Amino acid sequence: MELAVTNLNKRFGGLHVLKDVSFEITGAELIGLIGPNGAGKTTLTNILDGAIKPNSGTVYLDHHRIDQMAPFEVAKAGLGRTFQVTRSFRRMTVLENLYVPALALDTGHSKAEIHDKAMEVLEFLTIDHLRNEYGQALSGGQQKLLELGRLLMLNPEVIILDEPFAGVHPRLMEIIYRYIERVNDAGTAIILISHQMDSIFSLCKRLLVLNYGDLIADGPPDEVKRNPAVIEAYLGADEEDEGQ
Amino acid sequence: MMKKSHAPQLAGLVLVIFFAAFPFFYGANDYPYIMHVIITGFFYAILTSSWAMLAGYGGQFSFGHMGFMAVGAYTTALISHYFYLAPVPTNICTEFPIGGMYLIILDPIGVTSSTLTQDCLHQALDVWKGSVEVTAMPVWLGIAAGTAMGGVFGLLIGLLVLPLRAAYLALFTLGFSEILRAAISAEISITRGQAGIELPSLFQNGITLFGRHFDKTDKLPPYFIMFILLLVCLGVLTWLAKSKFGLFVRAIREDQDAAAALGVNTIRYKVLVFVITSMIAAAAGATMAHYIGIISPNNLVILQMSLIVAMAVIGGVENFFAAAVGAILLEFVLEMLRNSFEIGPIEVDMTVWRLVVFGVLLMLTLRFSPRGLLVPAIDYFARGHVAKETVAKREQVDAVEASEPEAVK
Repeated sequence: MELAVTNLNKRFGGLHVLKDVSFEITGAELIGLIGPNGAGKTTLTNILDGAIKPNSGTVYLDHHRIDQMAPFEVAKAGLGRTFQVTRSFRRMTVLENLYVPALALDTGHSKAEIHDKAMEVLEFLTIDHLRNEYGQALSGGQQKLLELGRLLMLNPEVIILDEPFAGVHPRLMEIIYRYIERVNDAGTAIILISHQMDSIFSLCKRLLVLNYGDLIADGPPDEVKRNPAVIEAYLGADEEDEGQ
Repeated sequence: MMKKSHAPQLAGLVLVIFFAAFPFFYGANDYPYIMHVIITGFFYAILTSSWAMLAGYGGQFSFGHMGFMAVGAYTTALISHYFYLAPVPTNICTEFPIGGMYLIILDPIGVTSSTLTQDCLHQALDVWKGSVEVTAMPVWLGIAAGTAMGGVFGLLIGLLVLPLRAAYLALFTLGFSEILRAAISAEISITRGQAGIELPSLFQNGITLFGRHFDKTDKLPPYFIMFILLLVCLGVLTWLAKSKFGLFVRAIREDQDAAAALGVNTIRYKVLVFVITSMIAAAAGATMAHYIGIISPNNLVILQMSLIVAMAVIGGVENFFAAAVGAILLEFVLEMLRNSFEIGPIEVDMTVWRLVVFGVLLMLTLRFSPRGLLVPAIDYFARGHVAKETVAKREQVDAVEASEPEAVK
């Protein structure tokens, strides 16, 4: 798998939200995407998944250009995402939530096969007892798990997880940790967006740091931590807090 | 043994049997009137259930459904009014050779044509003096063309409203319906405007069924035509709801962006749901227009669309069976409420007050049972077991976890 982002620019009116952002992901990397609020993380995510189009620049997934594709085409091409604010299908059952991506892929699997896979995913996420409940009956954390489960049904090559740990109970956080490790071990590249630095540093081998639309750092966590631009833009305050 | 969750299906089957048998056991003096009320109820049930698919399942809160109904009705009206087949050309009408015959299109000469000016075909008939037999277009062809035209309009409107959501979509489709009504009213020379355009009966020459002849005013044939159309409509909607189409349109209703991010072609399914429900509305409109014998722009007034919305809301907009049953019941209630009565010296004119009663029922439903009056009952039977199952399964998991040694945990 290869994701190549080259000279990506995005403007909203006079606001230059992404400035010549370029990076590559090769193989099943586990990458953290960090930056202060307004850095451009969500815009980058929305461009990668096809929800918005860049003003210039390209995104290639396995040598197929995806930056001009519709979101459903990007999903089928192999890039899946979760949302910062959980977006489960609230008036559909948990199982139906999982059937949607599986049927959208149209892989020719029978309903029974899709059901079996969905049950396997729910058991892994420990929410199989909720399979016939509506999405709206689930707690916030369980809805996060449901979103992650939907991605497993989509079986993408790259996953963007937007704030998967936000507002999640420690027990469910453990499940999400296990999820990330399992999916990554299975060969899926993961871009993890989170403000929880502990999680980012413990899970990721590489960090991308955005600041006001500029990609100011790209490297291993230890190296990024020492980067003066990053310290000034983002980590400095945290480091100082930790020091106090 | 029958499960509790099958109760809604059983109730549905009982209703189907009841309506299939009703014309044969009901023998009161008001038979034609009651039959007419039920036929009208079936008509509204088709419109309401298809609107429930569009708005309740698909989340496309359209106010254009009566517009699509009118597209079907006017298409078949215009075809039956202006299109004829003759073995020889008239040489004065617009005409095209088709398979050894001539398709003759009459001049649009307006509402006074029968008294002031002979249309071109009648002029030709005067010349032929009965030597040439002219054939009107079959009713079924008009209904089929009306249904197809409903699909074409549904496609166009579906594409136009793609970027619109919620109130903007409602306002746009309301605009479409109003423009259609104004255009039909204005084009008097073609549509006869507010006077309405007449149509031949569903069975203009009557029909013989099982050795019994029914003339064109008999209620039994149109009753079963509309009943079968309703069953076909519900069958198609059920099939769609259970297929991935139903799953995807519900996902789009819940969150269009999330559905797209999971691989659902939201544009295709949003347009498709418009096309399919518009075709169903157009088929109902075309069939009803032939039954009533006239269609006018008054069928497009906002009150008519409000009636569909109210019937769906009161029955239950997220279940098209509930919406259909709600429509039949409410049509019946509305008709029964026509009977005025006196309280002492005060005479209550229910022809006016019945709509007030209906409005109050709508408000009470929205306030106290926003999912409709029938859907909660259906859910009680169909999904009543879910909570118990969830708790039992959770307890099972907890018991297993509790029995595991601490080290394993």
